[in-house]
Amino acid sequence: MDKELFHIIGVTLRMSFFSTLISCIIGLPLGVIIETGRFRGRRIMKKTAGTLMGLPPVVAGLIVYMLFTKYGIFGSLGLLFTVEAMVIAQVMLITPVVICLTASVVSVSGKNLSETAKGLCLSKSRSLLLFIITNRKALLGTVLTAFGRSIAEVGAVSLVGGNIQWKTRVMTTAILLETNKGKFSFALALGMVLLLISLVVNVLASLLVKGEKTDD
Amino acid sequence: MIELKNVNKSYSERTVLCIDSLEIKKGERLSLTGANGSGKSTLLKIIAGVIPYNGKVNVPGRVLYMPQKTVLFDMSVLHNVTYSLTGKRKEKEEKAMEALRKTGLSELYNKNALTLSGGEGARLALARILVNDCDVLLLDEPTGAVDIEGTEIIENAVKEYSEKNGCTLITATHSPLQAKRLSRRVIMLEKGEIAEDCTPEELLLNPKTDFGKKFVSMWRY
Repeated sequence: MDKELFHIIGVTLRMSFFSTLISCIIGLPLGVIIETGRFRGRRIMKKTAGTLMGLPPVVAGLIVYMLFTKYGIFGSLGLLFTVEAMVIAQVMLITPVVICLTASVVSVSGKNLSETAKGLCLSKSRSLLLFIITNRKALLGTVLTAFGRSIAEVGAVSLVGGNIQWKTRVMTTAILLETNKGKFSFALALGMVLLLISLVVNVLASLLVKGEKTDD
Repeated sequence: MIELKNVNKSYSERTVLCIDSLEIKKGERLSLTGANGSGKSTLLKIIAGVIPYNGKVNVPGRVLYMPQKTVLFDMSVLHNVTYSLTGKRKEKEEKAMEALRKTGLSELYNKNALTLSGGEGARLALARILVNDCDVLLLDEPTGAVDIEGTEIIENAVKEYSEKNGCTLITATHSPLQAKRLSRRVIMLEKGEIAEDCTPEELLLNPKTDFGKKFVSMWRY
């Protein structure tokens, strides 16, 4: 079981890391653009992202399931019941959260920073980078929230991952399985491990911020 | 030449700027003065192209703009200045150090910008601008929260830069005396409209409008 447990932890971390990474690559710039940009459809985009924050995980899982099932649009890729499909479902769930939280962080300094960047004739990519650098400490909270949601998610990943032993079983689906089997103490122990992982990630993140020199 | 025709800016049906016609020659040094809410910052923002407006504005060349509420970046003083530059790191740093020397901040180059005082921050914001080349330089109250010594450093750096580059300089200021030190033409705005357009000396000695007289009288004593 020890070996399997480490495998489950490995799959959980892999899935959470990549889904958080992809969500942040998409969501951080989009959040900045939505908050500071001046273009048509900005409000609709913001509202849509806000609405999708409440997307039920099983619905996200169902959409990905339908897309990647044998007769789905992407069925030929054969991704259903793989970690990749789980990551895709997670990205669907987490990206709106990253967008909305980033927009909220940026809104505090957004207008003045935007004017400062434009005044210096910075390119769009340099401005975007500046927004992320300037708000990096607050944005770290966004990344941690995304990671937290990813690692704790069960509905979507069990639907598209299938909870297959040695393949797509993650901490949450394992807890669910052990609970259904009546092994409550083991399920609880798995839950503690999940919490411990979350704690380690949070501590590492706070050390990263604390470790930053005040004088560059 | 910078040209503005029938420029209008409103916020929620409140008109904050209404200019029929304004021309600013290439290389001219102009100050905008007036009370709070007279439209100085709005006019600068329109020329800088950072806010939408109604009307026609033609600004040829590269425009640099230092907003009133300029934001210092959460990085070192040196990196603040090099951030807008392109090219090799060493060259960028040499240029930045030169700008920092001119603004009296060279000794603070490795400090985080957010640890600077208000006056030092204003000088850093200026150094960040002056390290670049431009055709039009727009400064919105660059000495708003700066002491006398800092004001002198900023004014000297601005004058040296504009003389060396031959750029058009437009400065928003509350002080007609600063307008006199920095420019050869001054425009006084009142409720978003041009109330006076003259030399700083004329404004100080012989203002034409009642508002101009009242505004200037406060600076005489």
